[in-house]
Amino acid sequence: MNYEYNFGFFDEGSKREIRRTILKAIAIPGYQVPFASREMPIARGWGTGGLQITLSLAGKGDVLKVIDQGSDESVNAVNIKKLVNKTTGILETIDTEAATLIQSRHRIPEKYLKNGQILVLQVPMPEPLRRVESSEYKTKRLHADAEYSGAWLMLFEQIVKYGSMTTGAAHPVFVHDRYVMAPSPIPKYDNPKMNHSEALILLGAGREKKIYAVPPYTKVVSLAFEDHPFEVENVEGRKCHLCGATGIFFDELEDDETGEVYYQCNDSSYCLSRLNSDKEVQ
Amino acid sequence: MKFDLVHDIQKTYRSLVQAMSNPGVIVNVAQYVDKNELEFDFYDTTFALMYMLLDAEVSFKIYSAKADKTSRYFTQLTHSRPQDVKAANFIFVLSDASEDELQEAFTRSYEGDLIDPHKSATIIVETQGITAEKSLALKGPGIKDTNYLAINISERWVVARAEKNKEYPMGVDVIFVDQQGNMACLPRTTQTLQVVK
Repeated sequence: MNYEYNFGFFDEGSKREIRRTILKAIAIPGYQVPFASREMPIARGWGTGGLQITLSLAGKGDVLKVIDQGSDESVNAVNIKKLVNKTTGILETIDTEAATLIQSRHRIPEKYLKNGQILVLQVPMPEPLRRVESSEYKTKRLHADAEYSGAWLMLFEQIVKYGSMTTGAAHPVFVHDRYVMAPSPIPKYDNPKMNHSEALILLGAGREKKIYAVPPYTKVVSLAFEDHPFEVENVEGRKCHLCGATGIFFDELEDDETGEVYYQCNDSSYCLSRLNSDKEVQ
Repeated sequence: MKFDLVHDIQKTYRSLVQAMSNPGVIVNVAQYVDKNELEFDFYDTTFALMYMLLDAEVSFKIYSAKADKTSRYFTQLTHSRPQDVKAANFIFVLSDASEDELQEAFTRSYEGDLIDPHKSATIIVETQGITAEKSLALKGPGIKDTNYLAINISERWVVARAEKNKEYPMGVDVIFVDQQGNMACLPRTTQTLQVVK
């Protein structure tokens, strides 16, 4: 069977719905705008939210980069790139600087993003209050009233139980002093990159049918207490075993034979660009 | 070359996204929308926005000396339905609309509610010109320090808009267009200050 698809897989009506939603999301930073999430040729929960945004934005002349947990070459990233490429014909890249659209699962690239670039994050759980309130009807009202005791209590209970905030990823953030937002499960290390980011950040949750956004130069503050300030992962003393980078987010690996723990850049294209640049490595 | 309903609209949309996420930044879409060969009583950019945003799922309101004719035209092309200003999702204030009509678009449009602030109206205003002259100083998300914008229409709307947007997150988002293909946006988050000359 050989079906002819419209440019960008979707019909124009579907794109229109998603495009209208994106505009509203940009106008209300951090607010989850509901939208009619489309059926996709991949299962919900595998990046359909991000993919719907990417396909609605993409056009001739765009250059797409897709990363999955920092890697340009994982199965998920490669297949999303293939789908976009087959239905639009746009170019792909692993170079963060060359990309106009960057779809990402759970990382913000190490390289600084510029104004004009768009970062699309895939979100499994867009509702930061879901763990404390299971009803969507109620969470919408909590957001309406800016009633975020639940989010604060969740962090407070972690401190009481474990002595510190134990959120590994998706540490909630406060956007434009109004909405508490789930920044998708990016590591805490990436949270500060959202604050006054030059690039537009769009977040899409296909299964949960929500799109939200952080426009450029928008205040994004990670939730924290005065006596328990927000802290990113401690990467001190760690060094990439390939390129020698320090002070970035790492994957922790273990040698099967010796049991020795070593570290590698989580952002594979960042590592590769350092390896390819003799000057930087020296 | 004809106006391409897939690619030219996509290019125009990306420019609109750039303008909406960087309030006050003027984008130009003339190279896409000028390809249009149809005859109508509004700007080519407005035509592109109509096709980009309207369908049977949403409603619109038109302020123009020829509002009825243009409304019929919009409905024929997009299946979107005309609606009273209070309930319309998109409000088009065309270049031949009166100053009072522009004012009405801001005062009577729907600003959403606290539970669903996204249900508010988007106002599209045809102007005589958009420049970066220091007439309005803009601050808010999407703006690094201060952006400046000058819209060549009566300035009464500035106060009406501020009044409509005073209870954030409720409020209306505005897209300004001119005949030269310039577009600039003021989402509800943008604070405007009139610069004293």
